[in-house]
Amino acid sequence: MRDIFFDLSVRSVRLNFMRSLLASIGIVIGVVAISSMGMLGANMQLSVKQQLSIDVNTIMISSDVVRTSTTAGAPSTSQGVTKSQFNDIKNAAGTNVVIPIHRTNTQFTIGSTDGRGSIYGLEPDDIEKFLTIRVGEIPRGANDAVVGSNLATNFNLVVGTRIKIGPANTENRPTVRVSGILPARGFASDGVNTDNAIIVPDTWYTNQYGDKDVYDQVNVIVKDVDTIGAVETAIDEKVNRKTDVIRINDASGRLTSITQTLGTITTFILAIGGISLVVAAVSIFNVMMMSVNERVHEIGILLSIGTEKGEVRRMFLYEAFILGLIGAVVGGICSLVIGYSVVSAMIGNTTYFFMPDSILYVPEGMVIGIVVCIVSGLYPAWKASNMDPIDALRSE
Amino acid sequence: MDNCKTEEEMKGSEMGENPLIRLVDVSKVYRLESGDFTALNHVSLDIMENEFVAIMGPSGSGKSTMLNQLGILDVPTTGELSIDGKNVSHMTNLERTHMRRDTIGYVFQKFYLIPLLSAYENVEYPLILRYKHRDTTGKAAAVLKSVGFDEEMSSHRPSQLSGGQQQRVAIARALVNDPKIILCDEPTGNLDRKTGIQIMDLLAGLHQKGKTVILVTHDQKIAEYAHRTIQLDDGRVVGS
Ligand SMILES: Nc1ncnc2c1ncn2[C@@H]1O[C@H](COP(=O)(O)OP(=O)(O)O)[C@@H](O)[C@H]1O
Ligand SMILES: [Mg+2]
Repeated sequence: MRDIFFDLSVRSVRLNFMRSLLASIGIVIGVVAISSMGMLGANMQLSVKQQLSIDVNTIMISSDVVRTSTTAGAPSTSQGVTKSQFNDIKNAAGTNVVIPIHRTNTQFTIGSTDGRGSIYGLEPDDIEKFLTIRVGEIPRGANDAVVGSNLATNFNLVVGTRIKIGPANTENRPTVRVSGILPARGFASDGVNTDNAIIVPDTWYTNQYGDKDVYDQVNVIVKDVDTIGAVETAIDEKVNRKTDVIRINDASGRLTSITQTLGTITTFILAIGGISLVVAAVSIFNVMMMSVNERVHEIGILLSIGTEKGEVRRMFLYEAFILGLIGAVVGGICSLVIGYSVVSAMIGNTTYFFMPDSILYVPEGMVIGIVVCIVSGLYPAWKASNMDPIDALRSE
Repeated sequence: MDNCKTEEEMKGSEMGENPLIRLVDVSKVYRLESGDFTALNHVSLDIMENEFVAIMGPSGSGKSTMLNQLGILDVPTTGELSIDGKNVSHMTNLERTHMRRDTIGYVFQKFYLIPLLSAYENVEYPLILRYKHRDTTGKAAAVLKSVGFDEEMSSHRPSQLSGGQQQRVAIARALVNDPKIILCDEPTGNLDRKTGIQIMDLLAGLHQKGKTVILVTHDQKIAEYAHRTIQLDDGRVVGS
């Protein structure tokens, strides 16, 4: 059974339809501002995070023990990650992808031109797990190789070009055939800098350079970037038991600082949306005061025939609630439309629009709009309920 | 000493029948910028249950002020006012509100119906105040019928009703919670002669059914319906 005070409020709103509508429009704007600003921020964060996490989802592991060279003056090189350490890493990494990497520097000759660059030994199947091939395909034969973009440009490499590996004056140098060319990678955050490199199958590499059971680097690509810390801890606990034998690195610090910056920006634009709600609050307050002042005589009647103060208060709070509800519902619907347009226009990607982090700004904005209305109605309601019935009755 | 004795004597003499309303030395002073204005000046008065009292006096003599005290819309500045055995100045605001709702029915000169409610809802309203839910007993409709209100008009808003119809609705509203006291401030003041007589007949009928009816008027013909007339002048009782 409906509350008669609710009925009275509904009728009052209906009686002053235009005025109520205008006040509600303020709330509509406020809700739309908060919701679509919030969604814009959330979508920005989500899409940037997604883009970045492709880069920062890799844990780089190398040896922490320095191999001292027997030759004085030679640069000290890392000892490498041993086969047993590698197996421990694999166990600790669970279902995440673990990629063992061999690397060294080499000279080479293409046609009659000599060059210098890195040479990576990778399992052909691993290549596609973190690299894309621009032209050609991954190595199929034992002597196939994939080359970096700078190398390909500088030496006019095409699929099928042959490269002699090793210093120019060596006899019987082994040859590889280019099977694929990589796109530019720049300074890679997973430590695999391919732009000036030749990538050969791991068997080719170990046949040539040995070191079959010692890797220069091991990369772990985590499926969920949020678990990167936990995976690192697991690896650290498993391998660095007594002393630190491996060094564990990642680029997630960069992600954290960028998401923090984006969070600040979101808060800022939300605050701008908030300002419009403050304006809306003022207009609701104004309309509620008008309603109270216009109905002084009616309030006098209600109070004189035995209506409790609390009941009069309730009547006006209902009115504020109704204004808020109308504004919130209309605002919520508009938020979906406007928010979607804003997100697709400014971010160009609506993949994340319906994800909870984003879409929840709509109900949040609606609740805030209603709460703002009720808060704006508190003083008018209090004023109405504390009128002196005789004074109120006399006013006409 | 002397005072004490008289009070005790008064109580003793009225053991059997306590007054429904008792005013002892009641004054109402309005504090204005131009100085204090005494609208009621040391009024002492008893009104027994089932009396029909008319309060008369020239304009500005304090009739409405008196009725506001009796209806506890206001509290006396000094003196004691008891209604139904309870001292009004000792009651909380909420208790006064509940007494207005349950013990007193008001009939005003300008009807004072709630404009947003229909005739029926206006009568139902005090029941909702009291029982906190809509009337399911049919009482509101029954009372509305008993005051001679045309049932077909029940869903009309006050603004669609004639003065006589509005006053019937107002009387029904005053009656619906079965109050002991009916207070009327110039109930016929806004009605034509014929309708006024119908309304007065209605009030006389209520008195016959046991209500205590107190009526403010400056019309001698109206006052003749009452069995007792209290004359006010300048805030004092000059005849009773
Ligand atoms: N709220 C008030 N403030 C100041 N003076 C008042 C107030 N109410 C009534 N009065 C004064 O008290 C006197 C009595 O008023 P009232 O009881 O309304 O007289 P009546 O109803 O007999 O015409 C009048 O002079 C009036 O001006
Ligand atoms: Mg008067």
